[in-house]
Amino acid sequence: SLESKAWEKKNLKVYPPQLPDEPRRPAEIHHSRRQIKYSKDKMWYLAKMIQGLSIDEAIAQLEFNDKKGAKIMKEVLLEAQEKAVKNHNVEYKSNLYVAESYSGKGRYLKRIRYHGRGMFGIMDKVYCHYFVKLVEGSPPKTVEKTSFDQAKQYVQNLKSRTIIHSL
Amino acid sequence: MAMPMRRTLVALHRATCRRLTNAEVSLDVRHPGPLFLPVRTKKRYFIPPAVGMKTKMEGFTEAKARAAGIVGKQENIERPINISCTAGVFDPYVPPEGDARLSTLSKEGLKQRAEQIRQSATSQLAIRKIKEHDSLFKTRDFAERAQEIFVEAHNALTQFNKEKLHSLVTERCYPEMTRGNRYKTIRWSFIESLEPPRVVHARCTDMVAKGNVYGQVTVRMHSRQTLAIYDRFGRLMLGSEEQPKDVLEYLVIERHLVNPYGRWRLHGKIVPSWAPAKDPIIKVTFYSAPADNIYLLVRKRQRSKPLSLSKGD
Repeated sequence: SLESKAWEKKNLKVYPPQLPDEPRRPAEIHHSRRQIKYSKDKMWYLAKMIQGLSIDEAIAQLEFNDKKGAKIMKEVLLEAQEKAVKNHNVEYKSNLYVAESYSGKGRYLKRIRYHGRGMFGIMDKVYCHYFVKLVEGSPPKTVEKTSFDQAKQYVQNLKSRTIIHSL
Repeated sequence: MAMPMRRTLVALHRATCRRLTNAEVSLDVRHPGPLFLPVRTKKRYFIPPAVGMKTKMEGFTEAKARAAGIVGKQENIERPINISCTAGVFDPYVPPEGDARLSTLSKEGLKQRAEQIRQSATSQLAIRKIKEHDSLFKTRDFAERAQEIFVEAHNALTQFNKEKLHSLVTERCYPEMTRGNRYKTIRWSFIESLEPPRVVHARCTDMVAKGNVYGQVTVRMHSRQTLAIYDRFGRLMLGSEEQPKDVLEYLVIERHLVNPYGRWRLHGKIVPSWAPAKDPIIKVTFYSAPADNIYLLVRKRQRSKPLSLSKGD
């Protein structure tokens, strides 16, 4: 279906009350904006730029980016932050990070592009959707694996080989 | 995907030529259907639909028609609305200051205890009017029934049973109770009643028409309850399940007296001016990372003086 709002429905899921000995479940807020007049490929670059950053950093990066999509994305992030504090019981508005962020294709309009010799092409007026998921807490630290580490791992694998049915 | 436009023109030309050769058609005689069909009728080109045509047409007709003075078919403006409750509390009961805060042995306490509903004349008139419509009305039984309605309504709220809640609570009170609660879990329990409930106030009002009588009765009840609200993720937001609280409440119960199927339903609560609803205390329940960073930053700058920051709770 072309108009499925599955991303928005994720905000309606209710978990049962937690027992006192369970670790506190972090809040997740799903937000999106539909039919943005921008290309999904161009939006993808910005979306993957802010994936994994804390919300303050992400907003700062988008504010000083020259692309058209950056301004729209910043608005979406601020909206999501407000909704988190108001509706989803998030205590601190800075205590959020961008867990998932990606762009999708919207519904295009089609126009005629005139070529020479009576030829024509179909021009797509592109639209895109932008989806973002904010999670409460500090952003997870990704352990960067250096090349030396990888080489060491490889040598370790080679050394730990066993030859079966040998003498 | 460039397709030749010429084919459309060729096809049109062919069609017009064919029509001209057919002598009958050229004499402006209308046939029911074409006798000669051109051979290649399959559309082999694509023209995207011209947008703007449809929207222009819609706006065009409405505005022009209205300007010309043509009145189109009227849509159903009349829609019957059933009003089964009043919009608010008429003549709200003003609870005396210090109610339930003074011990009953002091002079003021005795005065309060001795205060009977018979003092207020309008309340007596209202009760008489209610007894006209509902002969089985008794203030003593009614107070207990009111408490039962209250308990059942809150139980229905915890289960979020819409039909039951609508039958126990008026339409004016329903949004007040359920706003913002749809995606939250509420756990409420009524432990005991500290004082027997009393009817303190009664009023009868007419809505819209003269004989359309609604009766509103205020009941005072002192009870012990526990309330715990969990948010969407199952985390405790407000209250606690183990700690009971003593609650003094003034409930307004309403009924549409003229309606034979009318029921006594909870209409609202009266918040006395000397006990407004306080904001819940901000209790930090976990030790958050940003606070940690600030501590380290401050620690770095003042190396000579060791700092001690109180961490969370």
